[in-house]
Amino acid sequence: MLASCRFDLDAALRFADGWIVLTPHRLLSDDPATGRPPPDGCPLQWPVDATTELDVHLRAAVGRIELLQAGRVAVQWRFTAARSKGVHALEDAFDQMVHGRPEAEAPRPGEAARPIAAPPSKALDDEDGETGPRASWKSLIRLTAFARPYLGMAVVGGLLSLASTAAALVPPYLTMPLVDRVLIPRQQGSPVPFSAVWWYLGGLLLAATLAWLLSWARTWTLAWVSERIAANLRVSTYAHLQSLSLDFFSGKRTGDLMTRVGNDTDRINLFLSVNVLTFVSDVLLVALTAVVLVTLNPLLAAVTLVPFPFVVWLAYTVRARLRGGFSRASIAWADMTSVLADTIPGIRVVKAFAQEHREIERFKAANDRVLDANDRVNVTWSFFGPLVSLFSELGTLVVWAAGAWLVFGGTVTVGGLTAFLAYITRFYTRVESMIHMVPATQRAAASAQRIFDILDCRPTVAEPPHPVPLGTVRGRIEIDGVHFRYGSREILHGIDLTIEPGEMVGLVGTSGSGKSTLANLVCRFYDPSSGSIRIDGIDLKDVSIEEYRSNLGCVLQEPFLFFGTVAENITYGCPDASRDRIVAAARAAGAHEFILALPAAYDSRIGERGGSLSGGERQRLSIARALLVDPRILILDEATSSVDVETEAAIQAAIDRLVTGRTTIAIAHRLSTLRRADRIVVLDSGRIVESGSHDALLAAGGAYSRLYHAQSKEADQPAAIS
Amino acid sequence: MTASPVPPSGDFPAFASYRLEQSGHGRLQFTGTDGVVHDNVDVIHAFPVSAPQGAVAIIAADGTELAWINSLETAPEPLRKTLERELSVREFLPVIERIEGVSDGEPADWNVATDRGPRRFKVAHTDDIIRCGDDSALITDTDGIRYRIPALARLTARERHLIDKAT
Repeated sequence: MLASCRFDLDAALRFADGWIVLTPHRLLSDDPATGRPPPDGCPLQWPVDATTELDVHLRAAVGRIELLQAGRVAVQWRFTAARSKGVHALEDAFDQMVHGRPEAEAPRPGEAARPIAAPPSKALDDEDGETGPRASWKSLIRLTAFARPYLGMAVVGGLLSLASTAAALVPPYLTMPLVDRVLIPRQQGSPVPFSAVWWYLGGLLLAATLAWLLSWARTWTLAWVSERIAANLRVSTYAHLQSLSLDFFSGKRTGDLMTRVGNDTDRINLFLSVNVLTFVSDVLLVALTAVVLVTLNPLLAAVTLVPFPFVVWLAYTVRARLRGGFSRASIAWADMTSVLADTIPGIRVVKAFAQEHREIERFKAANDRVLDANDRVNVTWSFFGPLVSLFSELGTLVVWAAGAWLVFGGTVTVGGLTAFLAYITRFYTRVESMIHMVPATQRAAASAQRIFDILDCRPTVAEPPHPVPLGTVRGRIEIDGVHFRYGSREILHGIDLTIEPGEMVGLVGTSGSGKSTLANLVCRFYDPSSGSIRIDGIDLKDVSIEEYRSNLGCVLQEPFLFFGTVAENITYGCPDASRDRIVAAARAAGAHEFILALPAAYDSRIGERGGSLSGGERQRLSIARALLVDPRILILDEATSSVDVETEAAIQAAIDRLVTGRTTIAIAHRLSTLRRADRIVVLDSGRIVESGSHDALLAAGGAYSRLYHAQSKEADQPAAIS
Repeated sequence: MTASPVPPSGDFPAFASYRLEQSGHGRLQFTGTDGVVHDNVDVIHAFPVSAPQGAVAIIAADGTELAWINSLETAPEPLRKTLERELSVREFLPVIERIEGVSDGEPADWNVATDRGPRRFKVAHTDDIIRCGDDSALITDTDGIRYRIPALARLTARERHLIDKAT
């Protein structure tokens, strides 16, 4: 099987669910007319060879697939947009197979059906809602992988738990002979010396001290381990986030990701250090107590344990009820954080449009959802918690009743009954505390699930297993038959473009024409759906992403400055650069003089809070940043579009210096930016429509000349605009 | 390499070819190679925190750069004296010798003893306390005045606790 997809409409456009499967020589399918397997159970078949074609048409929400044999429609399937990704993947696999792509490029089975640039974020959000019991255990068990490095300490912690629990069981055992052999004989007139009491008191003190020391050691050890597991998890999650491709982030809310890396790992830490610890010692104590009870008196033990199954059943019920509640609470919390992450960076827009009250309302609404989710959990919890207490009270009552009866019968001594009651109190206290484990587990499992959702996302732009070393890059870029599809929309329809080393190519076109997408593909932020991009003759997919990007400089429309000094921002791509080189880059970028005017010159703090720089100044810093890297390939994505004309002149001079001797792809709305370009390529709806020098294109009188004249007219009448 | 007057890029005159002098009212006067006199010029440390002995620029009143001195340490003598005197005025940077107290919250009230006498100031945000690589720290108060702590390691345990609390 090469690829498969599902179609969800029958010939009469009623909903159905059928399969189409592509094999190396055939296309198999359920009956397109009914969307079900044919009555005989054998799938329909069509041979596939070089004369067959697969056409996919998608208009609005409904599409059709046609299999053409020698130009005639052999069969037709219908589908809705919900299935479009799978259908397009099948189409791609079909085209690659039929139209003679080399075998190596044919998609591997199983992968073909996966959409190439589908944002994985959707799946991520969907899973949140239903952290099933099995999933929750699975994700908790997966946590143990992070505990492996600390296995030794964890085992020590476990042994300490066992020892401290055992020590805690000693005192009641000592009270039994104290009552039976000392106190009661003394009361009945036997000459027992008081020194006997001292012995028992000494033993009790020793046991208590030992239990205290052991539990101290145990708490510290297990906290040490869990703190490291959580730290490990945080770094792994963050490192994994950094490795994910851009499309992951475009579909994600910052606040949600921050909650996952921060809160969720912390919740797991709390769970491991506090809850698991308590739980383990509870289980041990309950088990050991049960053993002690049985050895003391099997009959009494059996009576005592009567309420126990009810408690277990209760725990089970509570768990089922709380499960959904906690994951709703977690989602509500992430939503609330998202409001913050959304509005705080956008605070200027909020204030400019005087929308503070609306934002407060929005936050309040999100906060109310948190409150509501927590309330629901609390309703369940507050009811069941005391109910468990009631059961344990009843358990004690049963022991009193049965115990009294046995004492009257003479089979149990008063001391034995006292010890029994001491044990049974402990027993039910621990059972109660085990019940507390239930919400904690559910909460931690929900958190673990949210973290593993991230860890399970694979970067769509994959690092090659055996990267080809690039060596010294000359900067020849060959774009060969590149198609790019995002979701169900094809954005680039077959781009062929070769850029020679050192050449500057300007990309021109209306917004939505695919300019930025093409630049993103050259940056390898995404991979083409089909076709290839080669650098110095090597396919980008075969090159280590990091090595390739170290040869790449980007100046973007919105220059991003990190919190740090000016010098740190300039050296972002090249942290070891000397101060001389920093200053040289800043001079070349025309940034030197305004930097000197800052309070601490190159050591001034900028970024988020100290963002007192103008758009043009920020842009010049980002040019200096690109210059310092000394890239062979340069991408200028609307580098001057966010600044005024006067500043543009200063930036333009800086860019001219930057461009010299580098392979450059420059995207611009303002055509004046491209006056130094060797060649201008005009894109329209994902296709190259024109290509040539500025003069040649003007003379040709095509799309470029229309654009150019429209802009120069605009420039001639500035008064009319302002 | 001695005091190379040649900046990493750009064309700036060699030391011998320009003059930097004190004119009236404590102003600095720069006479360039071309004989043009610029009054009221400014002397600026390019890396005041990370390399206080490093590069210095001479800037005209309108912000254009007149000269670049690669390293203050290796600058020839009369020039260096002038530069250092100017810089010490321009870069008012009291050194904190003792921390008496730091209040909780933002802004935090700092009560310190500096080499220029006792001082109380407010620090708006923990981001305004910057720990530099060489164990020193730089604190900027709400008025933009900066204070330096030369060696964190030499503070007392109590003072370090106050800083840790604040950062």
